[in-house]
Amino acid sequence: MSPLLEVRNLSVAYGAIEAVRDISFTVEAGQIVSLIGSNGAGKTTTLRTISGLLRPASGEILLEGEPIHAQPAHAILGAGVAHSPEGRRLFPRMTVEENLQLGAYVRKDDGVEKDMQRVYDLFPVLGERRHNKAGLFSGGEQQMLAMGRAMMSKPRLLMLDEPSMGLSPIMTQLIFDTIKELKEQGTTILLVEQNALAALALSDQAYVIDLGRTTLQGPGHELLADQRVRDAYLGES
Amino acid sequence: MSILLQQLANGVVQGGLIALIALGYTMVYGIIQLINFAHGEIFMVGAYGSLATYTWLLPQGIKDSWVLSLPLMLLGGVVVAVVIALIMERFAYRPLRNAPRLAPLITALGISVALQEAVRTFYPDATSALRFPRVFAEGNLALGPISVPWSGVLIIVVSIVLSVLLQVYINRSRMGRAMRATAQDPDTAKLMGVNPDRVIVLTFVLGAALAGVAGLLYGSYITNVNIDMGFQTGIFAFTAAVLGGVGSIRGAVIGAFIIGLVKTIGGQYMPGGTQYDYVWIFVVLILVLVFRPQGLFGEPERVRA
Amino acid sequence: MNKVSNIVRPFARPLVLVGGVLLIVAALLPWATFVLNEGPYPDKATLQFFDAPFAVTGFRFHLLLLGLLVLIASFAPVPSRARVLRALGWGGLLVSVISGLFITIEGGGLGAITAADGATAFGALVGLVGGAAVILGAIALGVEPPAHWTLKLPTAAAYAVLVVVFVLVLLGVSLVLTAGGQGGAANPYAGPLFLAFLGFAAGAMAALSATGAIRFVSELSEKHRIFSVVVLLLCALLLPFTDAGSEYWMTVAANIGIYAATAIGLNIVVGLAGLLDLGYVAFMGIGALVAANFSGAAAAAFGVHLPFPVAAVIAAVVAGIFGAIVGSPTLRVRGDYLAIVTLAFGEIFTRSAQNNIGGLTNGANAIPGIPALSLFGADFNKSFTLGSIKLPAGVLYYVLIVLLVALVMTVFANLKFSRIGRAWIAIREDEDAARAMGIRTGQAKILAFLVGAMLAGLAGAVFAHKNGTVSYESFKFLESVTLLAAVILGGMGSIPGAVLGASLLFVLPEKLREFSEYRLLIFGLALVLIMRFRPQGLVPDRHRRAELADEDVGGAPVDEVHEVPGAVKEAKA
Repeated sequence: MSPLLEVRNLSVAYGAIEAVRDISFTVEAGQIVSLIGSNGAGKTTTLRTISGLLRPASGEILLEGEPIHAQPAHAILGAGVAHSPEGRRLFPRMTVEENLQLGAYVRKDDGVEKDMQRVYDLFPVLGERRHNKAGLFSGGEQQMLAMGRAMMSKPRLLMLDEPSMGLSPIMTQLIFDTIKELKEQGTTILLVEQNALAALALSDQAYVIDLGRTTLQGPGHELLADQRVRDAYLGES
Repeated sequence: MSILLQQLANGVVQGGLIALIALGYTMVYGIIQLINFAHGEIFMVGAYGSLATYTWLLPQGIKDSWVLSLPLMLLGGVVVAVVIALIMERFAYRPLRNAPRLAPLITALGISVALQEAVRTFYPDATSALRFPRVFAEGNLALGPISVPWSGVLIIVVSIVLSVLLQVYINRSRMGRAMRATAQDPDTAKLMGVNPDRVIVLTFVLGAALAGVAGLLYGSYITNVNIDMGFQTGIFAFTAAVLGGVGSIRGAVIGAFIIGLVKTIGGQYMPGGTQYDYVWIFVVLILVLVFRPQGLFGEPERVRA
Repeated sequence: MNKVSNIVRPFARPLVLVGGVLLIVAALLPWATFVLNEGPYPDKATLQFFDAPFAVTGFRFHLLLLGLLVLIASFAPVPSRARVLRALGWGGLLVSVISGLFITIEGGGLGAITAADGATAFGALVGLVGGAAVILGAIALGVEPPAHWTLKLPTAAAYAVLVVVFVLVLLGVSLVLTAGGQGGAANPYAGPLFLAFLGFAAGAMAALSATGAIRFVSELSEKHRIFSVVVLLLCALLLPFTDAGSEYWMTVAANIGIYAATAIGLNIVVGLAGLLDLGYVAFMGIGALVAANFSGAAAAAFGVHLPFPVAAVIAAVVAGIFGAIVGSPTLRVRGDYLAIVTLAFGEIFTRSAQNNIGGLTNGANAIPGIPALSLFGADFNKSFTLGSIKLPAGVLYYVLIVLLVALVMTVFANLKFSRIGRAWIAIREDEDAARAMGIRTGQAKILAFLVGAMLAGLAGAVFAHKNGTVSYESFKFLESVTLLAAVILGGMGSIPGAVLGASLLFVLPEKLREFSEYRLLIFGLALVLIMRFRPQGLVPDRHRRAELADEDVGGAPVDEVHEVPGAVKEAKA
C-alpha cells in the first residue's frame, strides 16, 4: 500500500535560484511528520509546491501513489490536501464564519455546519467572535482560525506551515496540543516548524532540511536525541 | 432654481448609466488588478447587439410593442457583450496573467481600439451614429419643475436594483465569497479550493452583462448610438470606480452618481459650458487620485503578506 | 508540435532540402493566370506576377534567394543551423502566403492560382509547401539558441566592418522604403508587394540574427559608439542620394523621423522610467501650437514671427513645463492609476484645443498657413542643388529631422547611462527599493516627464513647420496609443527599437492604402498579439530582455502561479 504522501527527488527553482534540491520524504497515513530546518532552508517552498502553488523543476509528488504535481492548486485541495500557509494568510476583511465557510468551499455535503461547530468547540474564542472581521484578531486567535479553516475541508493530509510563529509560549503550547488532538482524531499532519524541539517531540517521523537538501531523517524522538540536531537547531553548543 | 433641479435630475440619470459600467471596472480590478480599458467597448458592443437584435431578429409585430421587444433586445445585447468579454478574457488576458503589469494594460488598449474598429467596419452603416428605438414608454415623468423621460427613470431604477442585487450576491453567495477571497488573497483562495479561472470568468461575465444592460438603456434614452460612446462613457465609469474606491461595489455606484452630477452641473454652471463638462470630470479624477488615491470607500494600500 | 517533430525527425534533413528546392521551383513558376475580374493586370503588376518562367523579379526573386540560402545553409558550416533554416523557412512561407492571398482574393478568386488556359500558375501553393517543409524540418532538427561570436577585431577592421554594415543598412532602408512603390490608387499592388518584401526581409534578418551576426555587429557598434553614431548619421544623410531620394519618399522619411523622435522621447518615460503615459502626444501638440503661434501665420495668436530656433526652444520649454505639471501627480499616484491621469490630461488638452482655449488653437479651424522654414536663404520646401546634383524638394526637412532624431538619440543614450538613467531604471524595477536606496523618486519621475515632454515639444515645433497646419486632430488619444505601440513594438527602452517601431507604424499605412479601412483594426489586434507573443518587442533592450521574456532564463515554467515575484523575495529573505 502506498504511503499517503510521497515526495520523490523534488527540486524547485525560482528562475535560476534553486530553493529546493532533490528532497525526498514520505508521510504515512495517521502520522505527524515534520520538516525542520533553519530559515530559508526550503521548507515553505516544499509545502507550496505540494499544494500546487509552485511547480517542481523536477521530481514527483504522489498522493496515495497518484502523481499530483501537475495539478492546479484547487484540484489538489479537492484531492484532500489542505495547506495552512505561513503567516496564516486569513482573509482579513471577512468574518470568522466566512473564513471557515471558505475552508469548506469545495465540500458539497451537509456536514459543514457541524464541522464549524467542532471548530468553535475546539477554539471557543472563535465561536464567540464568529461575526467579527478576521483582520482584527490577535496572532494566536488568527492561528486558531487558520487551523480551523484548514480543517474545514476535512483533509486527509493537513499541512501546517510555522503554526507557532510569533506566538506566546502559552499560545504555542495550545497550538501544539491541538495538533496532537487532531492526530488522535485521525488526521495526518505534515508540519513545518522552526521550533524544532516542540515539533520533534510530537513527530512520528522528521526530516531535517538544510539549504534545500534533506540532511537527516528519523523518528522524532531519535532526532531529538541526535547531537547534530541538538547543536544546530536546539540552541545547544 | 428649476434649472438646477433639472440638471440634478439629468445628472442622476447619467449617474445610473455610468454606475452600471463602473461596476464592471471595479469588479475586474478588484479581482485581477487590471484596468480593463476595453470595458467601455463592451458597453458599446452591447448597445449594438441590442440594436442588431431589433433590426434583424425581431418581427414587426414584436417591434411594435416595447413590452416584448425590450426584454428580447436586452437578451441580445447582454449575450453579445458577455460573449465578447469571454473571448477577450480567454484569449487576451488569461495568457498574460503573470506578465508585467504594463502588458495587460496595453492589451486592453489594443482590444479597445480593435473592438471599436470592428464595429465601425463590419456593422452596416456604423461609420455614423445610428438611430436606436425608444423601446420604452414615450413621454416624461413630470415632478414639479423637473421632467425626466421615462427611459431615464428606467435607468435610475434598473441601476439601483442591479447594484443592490450584485452587492447581495457578492456578500451572500458561495461564488461571491470566492470572488472576495480571490480579491483579497488569490494564492490563499486557491488553497481553499477556489478555481481562480472560474472566479475571473464569472467576474468578466457579470461586468459584461451589466454593461450590456447599460448599452440597451443608453440607446433607449439617447435614441442613437455611435462607436465612440464606449470610450467616453467608459472613461467616466472608470473615473467613478476610482472615485468610489476601486474594488468597492458601493463606492462605484456612489462615485457614478457624483460623476453624473459633476458632468451636468459643471456643464451648466462652470465656465465653458457643456464644451468643457468632460474636463471637470477629469479634474475630479486627478484630484481624487492625488489626494485620496484609495477613493471614497476604498481600503488604503492593500498590504500583502 | 512535439509529436509532429518526433515523427518528422528521421526525415528532417531531406525535408529541409526538399523545402528549399520547392521554394526555388515556386519562384520559377508563374503565380497567376491572366484572367481577372476586370481584365488583365496593369503592367507594373504583371512584371512580378506573370513573368514567363525563368524571368524572375520582385518577390519571386526573393523567394529564389531564400530557397538558395536554405540549400547553402544546409551544407555550409553555419552556426545555429536549424534556427537559421527555420527563419528562412518562415520568410518563404510569409512571401508565399501574402502573395498567394493577394492573388486569390484580389486577383479573381481561386482560379487565379490554379491552372487555367494551359498556364500552370500554382507558384503560391508550391512556395507555401516549401516554406512549411523547411520550417518543419528545421524544428525537427532541433532549434538551438542563437550563436554568439567571441571574435575580437582590431580597431581598423572593426571600423571597416561597421562602415560596410551601415552602408548595407542604408541600402536596405532605401530598399524597404521604395519596395512595392508608392501606395495609393495609381498603384494598388504596392501593399501586397511591400508586405511580401517585409516577409522576406523579416526571414532574412531573423536568419542573420540566428547566426549571431547581428548581435556581433551590435556589440561592435556599442564598443565603438562614437564612430558608429557618426557613420550612421552620415549614412542617414546619404539616403537622398539613393533610390529613395524622391520628393515623396523624402516626405515619408521626414514624417517617420518626426514620429521616431517623439517615440524616443516617449521611450524615456515608458521604457526607462516605466511610467505609462497615455497622453504623450499632447506635448507634441503643445510644441506644435507654440511654434505655430510664433510663426507669423495669419491665424496665429501672436503677431510676432520668431526665428525657428527660438520658437523651437520656446516650444520645448513650454511643453516641458506642461510635462512637469502632468508628471507631478506621480508623486502620489502609481502604476495603472498614473496611466489614467496622463490619459485625462491628454483628453483635457484635446478638448481645450478643440474649443480654441484662450484663442491659442483656433479650434476646429486649425492654424493653417505656417510658413515653411528657411535657413541661409534656402527654402525648405523647394528643391535644392548641391554642386551638380539636384536634390528633390523636402530634402532639407529630411536633413533637419535626421539631425533632430540624432539629437534625441544622443539625449536618450546619455540619460540612459547616467546617474539619473540608473535611478529611472531602479524606479521601474522596484519603486520602493529605489526609494529605500536613497533615490529621490519623485524628482526623478517628474524629470522623466519633463525631458520626454521637451523632446516631444521640439518634434512638435518641426512638425508644425513641416506640415504647414496645426490642428488638434493630429494630437488625439489614438496618436498617443500609436506612439506607445511604436515604442512597444520596437522594444521598450531600446533606441533602434523605437525607430524601427515608428517606421513600421508610419510606413505601413503609407504602403497599405487599400487596407486603410482596416488600419486601426489591424493595429489594435497587433497590439494584443505583440503583448501575447513578443512583449519584449522586435529589438529588445538587452537589459530589459530578462524581465519581459523568459527565453533566456532556465527553470520550470511556473504557469498559473500568481506571485512569482513575491515568491522570489520570500526565497531570498
